[in-house]
Amino acid sequence: MIDQDLTRYDAAGQLAADESAALARVVAVEPGLVWLEPMQTGSCGGCASAAACGSKGIGTIANRLEARRFAVPGHFALRVGDSVEVAFGNRNLVRAATVAYVVPLLSAFGCAGVAQSLAGQDGLTLLGAVFGLLAGFVAMKFVARRLEAGGALQARIVRRHLPTIDFSYPGAQCDA
Amino acid sequence: MRETLLLLVSAALVNNVILARFLGLCSFMGVTTRIDTAVGMGMATTFVITVSSMADWAVETWLLVPNDLAYLRTVTFILVIAGAVQFTEMAVRKLSPSLFQMLGIYLPLITTNCAVLGVALLLVEGRMSFINSALFAFFSSLGYSLVMVMFAGLRERLAVSDAPRLFEGPPLGFITASLLALAFMGFSGISA
Repeated sequence: MIDQDLTRYDAAGQLAADESAALARVVAVEPGLVWLEPMQTGSCGGCASAAACGSKGIGTIANRLEARRFAVPGHFALRVGDSVEVAFGNRNLVRAATVAYVVPLLSAFGCAGVAQSLAGQDGLTLLGAVFGLLAGFVAMKFVARRLEAGGALQARIVRRHLPTIDFSYPGAQCDA
Repeated sequence: MRETLLLLVSAALVNNVILARFLGLCSFMGVTTRIDTAVGMGMATTFVITVSSMADWAVETWLLVPNDLAYLRTVTFILVIAGAVQFTEMAVRKLSPSLFQMLGIYLPLITTNCAVLGVALLLVEGRMSFINSALFAFFSSLGYSLVMVMFAGLRERLAVSDAPRLFEGPPLGFITASLLALAFMGFSGISA
């Protein structure tokens, strides 16, 4: 049973006005589940020497992208290696960034401010900031869980992505 | 209090990271095509700049200066920034995998761009207390975020404007950025 026919580029859903799209590559297909890996270009791994470099260790782009694999539930006519467009609501993206970054930061500043006003020493203020940061991360976990329960953190496959073919120069070939 | 306020205004507007010091220009041009992504990137960068500046202040005050190792400052700061970013990435991934996955698509958590190192090095020159350093870093990154969002808003409008074909895209973006930088020069009178 296929929910969406993604075999044709124009057959799938449209990107809503309040959504942003990003490219992802299919890395595994399971019954009712598609595993995707974000596609990232530029910077490390994007230069002409990338093939010779071969580094896939800690901290490289390849390593980070592998760690960011995510699953999208549903039945799709996709194969491993296909490129797809995935979408998130823009408002959800801002809410996610707020939860991940602003909550811990405000918590750190709050605790640092309290420590500064009580002790007035740099060392204790720093300890207060560290404590606040850790407490903020814990708070982030609970807020993120609420977002997740509301479905705000779920990606949506929009359509299969096909490379644009430029026929404007002689010898142009379809590499799709 | 007045000095602190002036310091914070100066950090955010007068000596704006992007338009006065010309740091973080890659993300300035690359992530400002939409307001929402610019807001997200601004938040991520604000977090990284503030947290890594706090860590850099501690390393500078209690390790580099007492041991006369100031010549290792740049290398050490890069290491500290990378460590802070990795720690944040690990914490978000461990505590909320779905949040990590969502931000992983759009916002590169590794925001170790030159703005992060630049603010940390500026803090050293200022020789401030910990809380002032943290506030300076926070307001510097707020200034960064402000400019990112403003520029993204302008680019969204420019994208639908009837511009000459040769100027479409990056050329018009660079011209707009230079006009924005000129406008921000008007804030330089505040510190006088």
